Amino acid sequence: MADISTSAVVPPRAAGSLAASGAKRRRDARLRQRLNMAVGLVSIPLFLLLWQLIAQAKIVNPILFPAPTVVARAAMEWVASGEFAQDLAASLKRVATGYVVGSIVGVGCGLLTGRSAFFSGLLGPLFQVLRPIPPIAFVSIVILWFGLSESGKVFLIVWGVFFTVWLSTHLGVQKVDQGLVRAAQMLGTPRRRLVGEVVLLSALPFIVVGLRTAVGISFYTLVAAELAGAFAGIFYRIQLAQQNMQTGLVFAGLAALGLISFIADRCFAMLAQRLVWWR
Amino acid sequence: MIRKPAPIPLRQTGEVEIDVRDVTIAFERDGGELVPAVDRVSFQVRRGEFICLLGPSGCGKSTLLNAVAGFESPYEGEVVVAGKSVTGPGPDRGVVFQQPRLFPWKSVKANVAHGPRMAGKSRAEAGAIADELIEMVGLTRSANALPHTLSGGMQQRVAIARALANRPGILLMDEPFGALDAQTRSVMQESLLRLWAQLDTTILFVTHDIDEAVLLADRVLVMSAGPGRIIRDVAVDIPRPRTIETTLGADFQALRRECLDLIRQQSQKAFEGNTDA
Repeated sequence: MADISTSAVVPPRAAGSLAASGAKRRRDARLRQRLNMAVGLVSIPLFLLLWQLIAQAKIVNPILFPAPTVVARAAMEWVASGEFAQDLAASLKRVATGYVVGSIVGVGCGLLTGRSAFFSGLLGPLFQVLRPIPPIAFVSIVILWFGLSESGKVFLIVWGVFFTVWLSTHLGVQKVDQGLVRAAQMLGTPRRRLVGEVVLLSALPFIVVGLRTAVGISFYTLVAAELAGAFAGIFYRIQLAQQNMQTGLVFAGLAALGLISFIADRCFAMLAQRLVWWR
Repeated sequence: MIRKPAPIPLRQTGEVEIDVRDVTIAFERDGGELVPAVDRVSFQVRRGEFICLLGPSGCGKSTLLNAVAGFESPYEGEVVVAGKSVTGPGPDRGVVFQQPRLFPWKSVKANVAHGPRMAGKSRAEAGAIADELIEMVGLTRSANALPHTLSGGMQQRVAIARALANRPGILLMDEPFGALDAQTRSVMQESLLRLWAQLDTTILFVTHDIDEAVLLADRVLVMSAGPGRIIRDVAVDIPRPRTIETTLGADFQALRRECLDLIRQQSQKAFEGNTDA
Protein backbone atom coordinates (compact mmCIF):
# COMPACT_ATOMS: atom_id res chain seq x y z
CA MET A 1 0.00 0.00 0.00
CA ALA A 2 2.68 2.48 0.97
CA ASP A 3 4.80 2.09 -2.17
CA ILE A 4 2.27 3.31 -4.69
CA SER A 5 3.74 6.33 -6.40
CA THR A 6 1.52 9.17 -7.46
CA SER A 7 2.15 11.98 -9.91
CA ALA A 8 2.02 14.65 -7.23
CA VAL A 9 5.66 15.70 -7.72
CA VAL A 10 5.69 16.45 -11.48
CA PRO A 11 7.30 19.89 -11.88
CA PRO A 12 5.23 22.64 -13.49
CA ARG A 13 5.41 22.79 -17.27
CA ALA A 14 7.27 25.58 -19.05
CA ALA A 15 5.01 27.81 -21.13
CA GLY A 16 4.75 26.64 -24.74
CA SER A 17 6.53 23.34 -24.16
CA LEU A 18 3.53 21.48 -25.62
CA ALA A 19 3.70 23.44 -28.87
CA ALA A 20 6.26 21.20 -30.58
CA SER A 21 4.39 17.95 -30.11
CA GLY A 22 1.13 19.69 -31.00
CA ALA A 23 2.58 20.96 -34.28
CA LYS A 24 3.80 17.49 -35.20
CA ARG A 25 0.36 16.00 -34.57
CA ARG A 26 -1.29 18.63 -36.72
CA ARG A 27 1.26 18.11 -39.52
CA ASP A 28 0.65 14.35 -39.54
CA ALA A 29 -3.11 14.75 -39.61
CA ARG A 30 -2.90 17.26 -42.49
CA LEU A 31 -0.66 14.93 -44.48
CA ARG A 32 -3.05 12.00 -44.11
CA GLN A 33 -5.98 14.18 -45.09
CA ARG A 34 -4.19 15.42 -48.25
CA LEU A 35 -3.28 11.89 -49.26
CA ASN A 36 -6.90 10.74 -49.03
CA MET A 37 -8.04 13.75 -51.04
CA ALA A 38 -5.44 13.05 -53.75
CA VAL A 39 -6.63 9.44 -54.04
CA GLY A 40 -10.19 10.71 -54.49
CA LEU A 41 -9.08 13.10 -57.27
CA VAL A 42 -7.34 10.41 -59.33
CA SER A 43 -10.19 7.88 -59.03
CA ILE A 44 -12.03 8.86 -62.23
CA PRO A 45 -8.95 9.76 -64.37
CA LEU A 46 -7.41 6.41 -63.44
CA PHE A 47 -10.57 4.59 -64.53
CA LEU A 48 -10.63 6.51 -67.84
CA LEU A 49 -6.95 5.78 -68.45
CA LEU A 50 -7.53 2.06 -67.89
CA TRP A 51 -10.50 2.12 -70.24
CA GLN A 52 -8.48 3.97 -72.89
CA LEU A 53 -5.65 1.42 -72.67
CA ILE A 54 -8.03 -1.54 -73.00
CA ALA A 55 -9.81 0.06 -75.95
CA GLN A 56 -6.53 0.84 -77.73
CA ALA A 57 -5.18 -2.65 -77.11
CA LYS A 58 -8.05 -3.90 -79.32
CA ILE A 59 -8.91 -6.66 -76.86
CA VAL A 60 -12.56 -5.76 -77.31
CA ASN A 61 -14.61 -4.63 -80.30
CA PRO A 62 -13.91 -0.85 -80.59
CA ILE A 63 -17.37 -0.21 -81.99
CA LEU A 64 -19.10 -1.73 -78.96
CA PHE A 65 -16.58 -0.31 -76.49
CA PRO A 66 -15.46 3.06 -77.84
CA ALA A 67 -12.42 4.62 -76.20
CA PRO A 68 -12.98 7.62 -73.89
CA THR A 69 -11.47 9.85 -76.55
CA VAL A 70 -14.16 8.70 -79.02
CA VAL A 71 -16.85 9.27 -76.40
CA ALA A 72 -15.44 12.74 -75.68
CA ARG A 73 -15.50 13.64 -79.37
CA ALA A 74 -19.13 12.46 -79.66
CA ALA A 75 -20.03 14.46 -76.54
CA MET A 76 -18.43 17.61 -77.95
CA GLU A 77 -20.29 17.25 -81.23
CA TRP A 78 -23.50 16.72 -79.28
CA VAL A 79 -22.93 19.93 -77.36
CA ALA A 80 -21.72 21.91 -80.39
CA SER A 81 -24.77 20.96 -82.48
CA GLY A 82 -27.04 22.52 -79.86
CA GLU A 83 -28.93 19.27 -79.46
CA PHE A 84 -27.48 18.66 -76.02
CA ALA A 85 -29.02 21.86 -74.70
CA GLN A 86 -32.41 20.86 -76.13
CA ASP A 87 -32.17 17.34 -74.73
CA LEU A 88 -31.05 18.56 -71.34
CA ALA A 89 -33.80 21.17 -71.18
CA ALA A 90 -36.47 18.64 -72.19
CA SER A 91 -35.31 16.06 -69.62
CA LEU A 92 -34.83 18.54 -66.78
CA LYS A 93 -38.24 20.03 -67.39
CA ARG A 94 -39.89 16.60 -67.12
CA VAL A 95 -37.92 15.67 -64.01
CA ALA A 96 -38.53 19.01 -62.31
CA THR A 97 -42.26 19.10 -63.04
CA GLY A 98 -42.80 15.47 -62.03
CA TYR A 99 -40.66 15.90 -58.94
CA VAL A 100 -42.40 19.03 -57.70
CA VAL A 101 -45.91 17.69 -58.33
CA GLY A 102 -45.11 14.24 -56.88
CA SER A 103 -43.48 15.79 -53.78
CA ILE A 104 -46.32 18.18 -53.05
CA VAL A 105 -48.97 15.48 -53.42
CA GLY A 106 -46.76 13.07 -51.45
CA VAL A 107 -46.28 15.44 -48.51
CA GLY A 108 -49.98 16.32 -48.56
CA CYS A 109 -51.12 12.69 -48.50
CA GLY A 110 -48.46 11.83 -45.88
CA LEU A 111 -49.79 14.55 -43.57
CA LEU A 112 -53.32 13.27 -44.09
CA THR A 113 -52.59 9.58 -43.47
CA GLY A 114 -50.04 10.30 -40.72
CA ARG A 115 -52.41 12.50 -38.74
CA SER A 116 -55.68 10.66 -39.25
CA ALA A 117 -56.29 6.98 -38.56
CA PHE A 118 -59.34 7.20 -40.80
CA PHE A 119 -57.39 8.27 -43.89
CA SER A 120 -54.55 5.94 -43.00
CA GLY A 121 -57.04 3.07 -43.04
CA LEU A 122 -58.66 4.28 -46.23
CA LEU A 123 -55.55 5.02 -48.31
CA GLY A 124 -52.72 3.10 -46.63
CA PRO A 125 -53.45 -0.39 -48.03
CA LEU A 126 -54.08 1.03 -51.52
CA PHE A 127 -50.79 2.93 -51.54
CA GLN A 128 -48.87 -0.02 -50.16
CA VAL A 129 -50.10 -2.23 -53.02
CA LEU A 130 -49.48 0.37 -55.73
CA ARG A 131 -46.08 1.41 -54.37
CA PRO A 132 -44.07 -1.65 -55.46
CA ILE A 133 -45.22 -1.48 -59.10
CA PRO A 134 -42.21 -0.07 -61.00
CA PRO A 135 -43.07 3.03 -63.07
CA ILE A 136 -41.63 1.39 -66.19
CA ALA A 137 -44.47 -1.14 -66.03
CA PHE A 138 -46.89 1.71 -66.72
CA VAL A 139 -45.24 2.81 -69.94
CA SER A 140 -47.64 0.88 -72.20
CA ILE A 141 -50.80 2.09 -70.50
CA VAL A 142 -49.44 5.64 -70.29
CA ILE A 143 -48.94 5.69 -74.06
CA LEU A 144 -52.58 4.63 -74.47
CA TRP A 145 -53.81 7.17 -71.96
CA PHE A 146 -51.70 10.19 -72.83
CA GLY A 147 -50.34 9.41 -76.31
CA LEU A 148 -46.94 11.00 -76.85
CA SER A 149 -47.78 14.13 -74.84
CA GLU A 150 -45.63 15.53 -72.07
CA SER A 151 -48.28 14.86 -69.44
CA GLY A 152 -47.77 11.09 -69.79
CA LYS A 153 -44.05 11.43 -69.09
CA VAL A 154 -44.64 13.76 -66.16
CA PHE A 155 -47.25 11.30 -64.85
CA LEU A 156 -44.64 8.52 -64.73
CA ILE A 157 -42.19 10.66 -62.79
CA VAL A 158 -44.94 11.80 -60.42
CA TRP A 159 -45.76 8.13 -59.88
CA GLY A 160 -42.15 7.31 -59.07
CA VAL A 161 -41.66 10.26 -56.71
CA PHE A 162 -45.03 10.23 -54.95
CA PHE A 163 -44.81 6.96 -53.00
CA THR A 164 -41.37 7.55 -51.55
CA VAL A 165 -42.30 11.04 -50.39
CA TRP A 166 -45.70 9.90 -49.11
CA LEU A 167 -44.21 7.04 -47.06
CA SER A 168 -41.44 9.11 -45.48
CA THR A 169 -43.88 11.92 -44.64
CA HIS A 170 -46.39 9.44 -43.22
CA LEU A 171 -43.74 7.86 -40.97
CA GLY A 172 -42.31 11.23 -39.97
CA VAL A 173 -45.73 12.56 -38.99
CA GLN A 174 -46.52 9.42 -37.00
CA LYS A 175 -43.26 9.77 -35.08
CA VAL A 176 -43.89 13.41 -34.17
CA ASP A 177 -42.86 14.04 -30.57
CA GLN A 178 -46.18 14.18 -28.70
CA GLY A 179 -44.39 16.13 -25.98
CA LEU A 180 -43.83 18.99 -28.42
CA VAL A 181 -47.47 18.84 -29.45
CA ARG A 182 -48.52 19.15 -25.79
CA ALA A 183 -46.08 22.02 -25.30
CA ALA A 184 -47.59 23.80 -28.29
CA GLN A 185 -51.13 23.15 -27.02
CA MET A 186 -50.50 24.55 -23.56
CA LEU A 187 -49.04 27.66 -25.20
CA GLY A 188 -52.38 28.20 -26.90
CA THR A 189 -51.51 26.99 -30.42
CA PRO A 190 -54.87 26.52 -32.16
CA ARG A 191 -55.57 23.05 -33.60
CA ARG A 192 -55.47 24.21 -37.18
CA ARG A 193 -52.00 25.70 -36.71
CA LEU A 194 -50.46 22.63 -35.02
CA VAL A 195 -49.53 21.11 -38.40
CA GLY A 196 -47.63 24.18 -39.57
CA GLU A 197 -46.06 25.05 -36.21
CA VAL A 198 -45.08 21.59 -34.93
CA VAL A 199 -46.03 18.52 -36.99
CA LEU A 200 -44.47 19.50 -40.31
CA LEU A 201 -41.22 20.77 -38.78
CA SER A 202 -40.98 17.80 -36.43
CA ALA A 203 -41.39 15.42 -39.40
CA LEU A 204 -39.08 17.45 -41.66
CA PRO A 205 -35.93 15.34 -41.10
CA PHE A 206 -37.89 12.28 -42.33
CA ILE A 207 -39.48 14.17 -45.21
CA VAL A 208 -36.09 15.46 -46.35
CA VAL A 209 -34.72 11.89 -46.51
CA GLY A 210 -37.71 10.90 -48.67
CA LEU A 211 -37.27 13.95 -50.88
CA ARG A 212 -33.61 13.15 -51.40
CA THR A 213 -34.32 9.51 -52.33
CA ALA A 214 -36.96 10.83 -54.70
CA VAL A 215 -34.34 12.93 -56.56
CA GLY A 216 -32.60 9.70 -57.60
CA ILE A 217 -35.90 8.00 -58.37
CA SER A 218 -37.03 10.86 -60.58
CA PHE A 219 -33.96 10.34 -62.79
CA TYR A 220 -34.52 6.54 -62.96
CA THR A 221 -38.10 7.19 -63.92
CA LEU A 222 -37.01 9.70 -66.56
CA VAL A 223 -35.65 6.75 -68.55
CA ALA A 224 -39.04 5.00 -68.42
CA ALA A 225 -40.75 8.28 -69.31
CA GLU A 226 -38.63 8.84 -72.41
CA LEU A 227 -39.18 5.20 -73.42
CA ALA A 228 -42.82 6.20 -73.80
CA GLY A 229 -41.96 8.10 -76.95
CA ALA A 230 -40.24 11.49 -76.91
CA PHE A 231 -38.89 14.03 -79.38
CA ALA A 232 -36.01 15.29 -77.23
CA GLY A 233 -34.31 14.25 -74.02
CA ILE A 234 -31.13 12.63 -72.76
CA PHE A 235 -32.46 9.08 -72.89
CA TYR A 236 -34.25 9.79 -76.19
CA ARG A 237 -30.80 10.72 -77.58
CA ILE A 238 -29.29 7.49 -76.22
CA GLN A 239 -31.98 5.40 -77.96
CA LEU A 240 -31.51 7.30 -81.21
CA ALA A 241 -27.74 6.87 -81.09
CA GLN A 242 -28.17 3.17 -80.41
CA GLN A 243 -30.32 2.78 -83.53
CA ASN A 244 -27.57 4.51 -85.57
CA MET A 245 -24.80 2.47 -83.90
CA GLN A 246 -23.26 5.74 -82.58
CA THR A 247 -21.87 4.01 -79.51
CA GLY A 248 -19.73 7.02 -78.65
CA LEU A 249 -22.87 9.10 -78.27
CA VAL A 250 -24.59 6.31 -76.29
CA PHE A 251 -21.80 6.43 -73.75
CA ALA A 252 -21.80 10.21 -73.74
CA GLY A 253 -25.51 10.07 -72.97
CA LEU A 254 -24.98 7.60 -70.13
CA ALA A 255 -22.23 9.79 -68.70
CA ALA A 256 -24.53 12.80 -68.94
CA LEU A 257 -27.30 10.95 -67.05
CA GLY A 258 -24.86 9.93 -64.33
CA LEU A 259 -23.39 13.41 -64.04
CA ILE A 260 -26.73 15.21 -63.95
CA SER A 261 -28.28 13.04 -61.28
CA PHE A 262 -25.04 13.22 -59.28
CA ILE A 263 -25.10 17.01 -59.42
CA ALA A 264 -28.81 17.05 -58.55
CA ASP A 265 -28.19 14.83 -55.52
CA ARG A 266 -25.29 17.02 -54.35
CA CYS A 267 -27.35 20.16 -54.73
CA PHE A 268 -30.15 18.56 -52.73
CA ALA A 269 -27.74 17.47 -50.00
CA MET A 270 -26.63 21.07 -49.59
CA LEU A 271 -30.22 22.25 -49.59
CA ALA A 272 -31.16 19.59 -47.04
CA GLN A 273 -28.69 21.00 -44.54
CA ARG A 274 -30.45 24.33 -44.77
CA LEU A 275 -33.90 22.78 -44.65
CA VAL A 276 -33.13 21.07 -41.33
CA TRP A 277 -31.13 24.00 -40.01
CA TRP A 278 -31.40 23.11 -36.33
CA ARG A 279 -29.52 19.82 -36.65
CA MET B 1 -57.15 3.86 6.90
CA ILE B 2 -57.04 6.93 4.72
CA ARG B 3 -57.34 9.99 6.85
CA LYS B 4 -59.35 12.77 5.41
CA PRO B 5 -57.14 15.87 5.28
CA ALA B 6 -57.99 18.33 7.99
CA PRO B 7 -59.28 21.65 6.71
CA ILE B 8 -56.47 24.15 6.52
CA PRO B 9 -57.02 27.65 7.85
CA LEU B 10 -56.71 30.21 5.11
CA ARG B 11 -53.30 31.78 5.04
CA GLN B 12 -53.75 33.32 1.62
CA THR B 13 -56.59 35.68 1.04
CA GLY B 14 -56.92 34.69 -2.64
CA GLU B 15 -59.94 32.94 -4.04
CA VAL B 16 -59.95 29.30 -5.10
CA GLU B 17 -58.12 29.10 -8.44
CA ILE B 18 -57.83 25.35 -8.94
CA ASP B 19 -60.65 23.13 -7.69
CA VAL B 20 -60.11 19.41 -8.17
CA ARG B 21 -63.41 17.66 -7.41
CA ASP B 22 -63.53 13.89 -6.81
CA VAL B 23 -61.29 13.19 -9.77
CA THR B 24 -60.74 9.57 -10.80
CA ILE B 25 -58.45 8.72 -13.70
CA ALA B 26 -57.93 5.13 -14.77
CA PHE B 27 -55.67 3.46 -17.27
CA GLU B 28 -56.40 0.32 -19.19
CA ARG B 29 -54.33 -2.81 -18.59
CA ASP B 30 -53.56 -5.10 -21.54
CA GLY B 31 -56.52 -7.32 -20.69
CA GLY B 32 -58.87 -4.34 -20.81
CA GLU B 33 -59.10 -4.16 -17.02
CA LEU B 34 -59.41 -0.59 -15.74
CA VAL B 35 -57.00 0.33 -12.98
CA PRO B 36 -57.44 3.66 -11.22
CA ALA B 37 -54.23 5.71 -11.20
CA VAL B 38 -55.90 8.52 -9.28
CA ASP B 39 -58.89 7.67 -7.12
CA ARG B 40 -61.50 10.25 -5.99
CA VAL B 41 -59.00 13.02 -5.32
CA SER B 42 -60.17 16.43 -4.20
CA PHE B 43 -58.15 19.49 -3.32
CA GLN B 44 -58.21 23.23 -3.76
CA VAL B 45 -55.50 25.72 -4.54
CA ARG B 46 -55.91 29.40 -3.81
CA ARG B 47 -54.65 32.18 -6.02
CA GLY B 48 -50.94 32.84 -5.51
CA GLU B 49 -50.29 29.65 -3.56
CA PHE B 50 -47.32 27.38 -4.16
CA ILE B 51 -48.52 23.77 -3.80
CA CYS B 52 -46.39 20.65 -4.08
CA LEU B 53 -47.86 17.25 -4.92
CA LEU B 54 -45.49 14.82 -3.24
CA GLY B 55 -45.57 11.06 -3.58
CA PRO B 56 -43.66 7.93 -4.46
CA SER B 57 -43.16 7.17 -8.13
CA GLY B 58 -46.24 5.71 -9.78
CA CYS B 59 -48.67 7.35 -7.36
CA GLY B 60 -50.46 9.22 -10.13
CA LYS B 61 -49.23 12.71 -9.23
CA SER B 62 -48.22 13.48 -12.82
CA THR B 63 -51.55 12.10 -14.04
CA LEU B 64 -53.29 14.49 -11.68
CA LEU B 65 -51.20 17.41 -12.94
CA ASN B 66 -52.03 16.42 -16.53
CA ALA B 67 -55.71 16.53 -15.65
CA VAL B 68 -55.32 20.12 -14.42
CA ALA B 69 -53.31 20.92 -17.57
CA GLY B 70 -56.10 19.44 -19.69
CA PHE B 71 -54.00 16.66 -21.27
CA GLU B 72 -55.99 13.95 -19.46
CA SER B 73 -59.73 13.97 -19.00
CA PRO B 74 -61.02 12.52 -15.73
CA TYR B 75 -63.14 9.35 -15.86
CA GLU B 76 -65.15 10.77 -12.97
CA GLY B 77 -65.22 14.15 -11.30
CA GLU B 78 -63.99 17.39 -12.75
CA VAL B 79 -61.26 19.99 -12.57
CA VAL B 80 -62.41 23.57 -12.29
CA VAL B 81 -59.93 26.35 -12.99
CA ALA B 82 -60.91 29.96 -12.32
CA GLY B 83 -64.56 28.92 -12.21
CA LYS B 84 -64.54 27.03 -15.51
CA SER B 85 -64.45 23.28 -16.05
CA VAL B 86 -61.24 22.15 -17.77
CA THR B 87 -61.83 20.54 -21.18
CA GLY B 88 -58.36 20.82 -22.71
CA PRO B 89 -54.99 22.55 -22.50
CA GLY B 90 -54.94 26.32 -22.69
CA PRO B 91 -52.72 29.37 -22.36
CA ASP B 92 -54.17 30.20 -18.93
CA ARG B 93 -52.16 27.25 -17.55
CA GLY B 94 -48.44 27.24 -18.41
CA VAL B 95 -46.80 23.83 -18.12
CA VAL B 96 -43.15 22.98 -17.46
CA PHE B 97 -42.45 19.32 -18.18
CA GLN B 98 -39.73 17.09 -16.80
CA GLN B 99 -37.97 17.33 -20.18
CA PRO B 100 -37.64 20.89 -21.52
CA ARG B 101 -39.59 20.03 -24.71
CA LEU B 102 -38.42 23.20 -26.44
CA PHE B 103 -39.06 23.55 -30.16
CA PRO B 104 -35.64 22.51 -31.49
CA TRP B 105 -36.01 24.58 -34.67
CA LYS B 106 -36.65 27.82 -32.81
CA SER B 107 -34.17 30.06 -31.05
CA VAL B 108 -34.53 30.63 -27.32
CA LYS B 109 -36.27 33.92 -28.00
CA ALA B 110 -38.65 32.42 -30.60
CA ASN B 111 -39.51 29.60 -28.19
CA VAL B 112 -40.46 32.08 -25.48
CA ALA B 113 -42.28 34.32 -27.97
CA HIS B 114 -44.35 31.40 -29.35
CA GLY B 115 -47.20 31.73 -26.85
CA PRO B 116 -47.70 35.49 -27.27
CA ARG B 117 -47.52 35.06 -31.06
CA MET B 118 -50.28 32.44 -30.91
CA ALA B 119 -52.31 34.85 -28.79
CA GLY B 120 -52.19 37.25 -31.72
CA LYS B 121 -49.47 39.61 -30.49
CA SER B 122 -47.30 41.28 -33.11
CA ARG B 123 -43.75 40.09 -33.66
CA ALA B 124 -42.40 43.16 -31.89
CA GLU B 125 -44.72 42.83 -28.88
CA ALA B 126 -44.03 39.11 -28.52
CA GLY B 127 -40.31 39.78 -28.85
CA ALA B 128 -40.42 42.37 -26.09
CA ILE B 129 -42.26 39.96 -23.75
CA ALA B 130 -39.72 37.25 -24.59
CA ASP B 131 -36.76 39.55 -23.95
CA GLU B 132 -38.12 40.51 -20.54
CA LEU B 133 -38.68 36.88 -19.46
CA ILE B 134 -35.35 35.71 -20.86
CA GLU B 135 -33.72 38.42 -18.77
CA MET B 136 -35.64 37.26 -15.68
CA VAL B 137 -34.25 33.73 -16.09
CA GLY B 138 -30.80 35.16 -16.81
CA LEU B 139 -30.32 33.95 -20.39
CA THR B 140 -30.12 37.24 -22.29
CA ARG B 141 -26.77 36.28 -23.80
CA SER B 142 -28.22 33.03 -25.21
CA ALA B 143 -31.40 34.60 -26.63
CA ASN B 144 -30.50 33.76 -30.22
CA ALA B 145 -29.06 30.31 -29.54
CA LEU B 146 -30.79 27.11 -30.60
CA PRO B 147 -31.93 24.94 -27.65
CA HIS B 148 -29.59 22.01 -28.32
CA THR B 149 -26.57 24.26 -27.76
CA LEU B 150 -27.65 24.91 -24.14
CA SER B 151 -27.11 22.82 -21.01
CA GLY B 152 -30.01 20.94 -19.40
CA GLY B 153 -30.44 23.57 -16.69
CA MET B 154 -30.43 26.43 -19.20
CA GLN B 155 -32.97 24.61 -21.37
CA GLN B 156 -35.25 24.18 -18.38
CA ARG B 157 -34.96 27.91 -17.61
CA VAL B 158 -36.07 28.61 -21.18
CA ALA B 159 -38.98 26.20 -20.66
CA ILE B 160 -40.03 28.15 -17.53
CA ALA B 161 -39.76 31.48 -19.37
CA ARG B 162 -41.82 30.04 -22.25
CA ALA B 163 -44.51 28.75 -19.90
CA LEU B 164 -44.76 32.21 -18.30
CA ALA B 165 -44.87 34.16 -21.56
CA ASN B 166 -48.67 34.08 -21.82
CA ARG B 167 -48.85 35.50 -18.27
CA PRO B 168 -50.79 32.43 -17.13
CA GLY B 169 -52.51 32.62 -13.75
CA ILE B 170 -51.30 29.09 -13.09
CA LEU B 171 -47.94 27.43 -13.59
CA LEU B 172 -47.99 23.62 -13.60
CA MET B 173 -44.62 21.97 -13.09
CA ASP B 174 -44.09 18.23 -13.53
CA GLU B 175 -40.83 17.28 -11.78
CA PRO B 176 -39.13 20.08 -13.70
CA PHE B 177 -35.78 19.70 -11.94
CA GLY B 178 -35.81 15.90 -11.75
CA ALA B 179 -33.40 15.42 -14.65
CA LEU B 180 -30.85 17.98 -13.40
CA ASP B 181 -27.75 17.40 -11.28
CA ALA B 182 -27.95 18.26 -7.58
CA GLN B 183 -26.09 21.59 -7.78
CA THR B 184 -28.08 22.86 -10.74
CA ARG B 185 -31.31 21.72 -9.10
CA SER B 186 -30.59 23.69 -5.94
CA VAL B 187 -29.82 26.85 -7.94
CA MET B 188 -33.00 26.37 -9.98
CA GLN B 189 -35.12 25.96 -6.86
CA GLU B 190 -33.90 29.24 -5.42
CA SER B 191 -34.38 31.10 -8.69
CA LEU B 192 -37.90 29.65 -9.07
CA LEU B 193 -38.77 30.99 -5.62
CA ARG B 194 -37.46 34.45 -6.56
CA LEU B 195 -39.41 34.34 -9.84
CA TRP B 196 -42.59 33.31 -8.04
CA ALA B 197 -42.16 36.17 -5.56
CA GLN B 198 -41.94 38.60 -8.48
CA LEU B 199 -44.96 37.24 -10.34
CA ASP B 200 -48.54 36.81 -9.24
CA THR B 201 -48.69 33.14 -10.21
CA THR B 202 -50.25 30.08 -8.62
CA ILE B 203 -47.89 27.11 -8.82
CA LEU B 204 -48.77 23.43 -8.71
CA PHE B 205 -45.50 21.51 -8.55
CA VAL B 206 -45.14 17.72 -8.77
CA THR B 207 -42.11 16.09 -7.17
CA HIS B 208 -40.97 12.93 -5.42
CA ASP B 209 -38.17 14.84 -3.68
CA ILE B 210 -39.21 15.57 -0.07
CA ASP B 211 -36.63 18.32 0.52
CA GLU B 212 -37.69 20.05 -2.68
CA ALA B 213 -41.37 19.93 -1.69
CA VAL B 214 -40.81 21.31 1.82
CA LEU B 215 -38.41 24.01 0.61
CA LEU B 216 -40.74 25.32 -2.10
CA ALA B 217 -44.31 24.84 -0.99
CA ASP B 218 -46.89 26.66 1.09
CA ARG B 219 -48.64 23.31 1.39
CA VAL B 220 -47.41 19.84 0.57
CA LEU B 221 -50.12 17.41 -0.55
CA VAL B 222 -48.73 13.96 0.25
CA MET B 223 -50.07 11.20 -1.99
CA SER B 224 -50.40 7.48 -1.45
CA ALA B 225 -49.26 4.92 -3.96
CA GLY B 226 -51.59 3.08 -6.34
CA PRO B 227 -54.35 4.11 -6.47
CA GLY B 228 -53.24 7.70 -5.89
CA ARG B 229 -55.01 9.55 -3.09
CA ILE B 230 -54.09 12.55 -1.04
CA ILE B 231 -53.33 11.30 2.45
CA ARG B 232 -52.21 14.50 4.11
CA ASP B 233 -52.17 18.22 3.55
CA VAL B 234 -49.00 19.48 5.27
CA ALA B 235 -48.86 23.24 5.84
CA VAL B 236 -45.30 24.57 5.54
CA ASP B 237 -45.20 27.69 7.70
CA ILE B 238 -41.51 28.39 7.32
CA PRO B 239 -41.12 32.11 6.66
CA ARG B 240 -40.03 33.36 3.24
CA PRO B 241 -37.77 34.19 1.51
CA ARG B 242 -36.34 30.69 1.77
CA THR B 243 -32.93 29.68 0.49
CA ILE B 244 -30.81 26.56 0.62
CA GLU B 245 -29.95 27.61 4.20
CA THR B 246 -33.58 27.03 5.14
CA THR B 247 -33.06 23.29 4.80
CA LEU B 248 -30.72 23.35 7.81
CA GLY B 249 -33.34 24.75 10.20
CA ALA B 250 -35.15 22.67 12.83
CA ASP B 251 -38.62 23.61 11.53
CA PHE B 252 -37.62 22.37 8.08
CA GLN B 253 -36.26 19.13 9.48
CA ALA B 254 -39.44 18.47 11.49
CA LEU B 255 -41.66 18.89 8.42
CA ARG B 256 -39.26 16.83 6.34
CA ARG B 257 -39.47 14.10 8.95
CA GLU B 258 -43.27 14.14 8.85
CA CYS B 259 -43.34 13.80 5.05
CA LEU B 260 -40.60 11.19 5.06
CA ASP B 261 -42.53 8.96 7.48
CA LEU B 262 -45.66 9.19 5.33
CA ILE B 263 -43.78 8.45 2.12
CA ARG B 264 -41.94 5.51 3.65
CA GLN B 265 -45.15 3.97 4.92
CA GLN B 266 -46.55 4.29 1.42
CA SER B 267 -43.50 2.87 -0.31
CA GLN B 268 -43.51 -0.01 2.17
CA LYS B 269 -47.18 -0.67 1.52
CA ALA B 270 -46.64 -0.56 -2.24
CA PHE B 271 -43.71 -2.94 -1.90
CA GLU B 272 -45.68 -5.44 0.19
CA GLY B 273 -48.64 -5.11 -2.14
CA ASN B 274 -46.40 -6.03 -5.06
CA THR B 275 -44.88 -9.06 -3.33
CA ASP B 276 -48.33 -10.39 -2.37
CA ALA B 277 -49.65 -10.12 -5.92
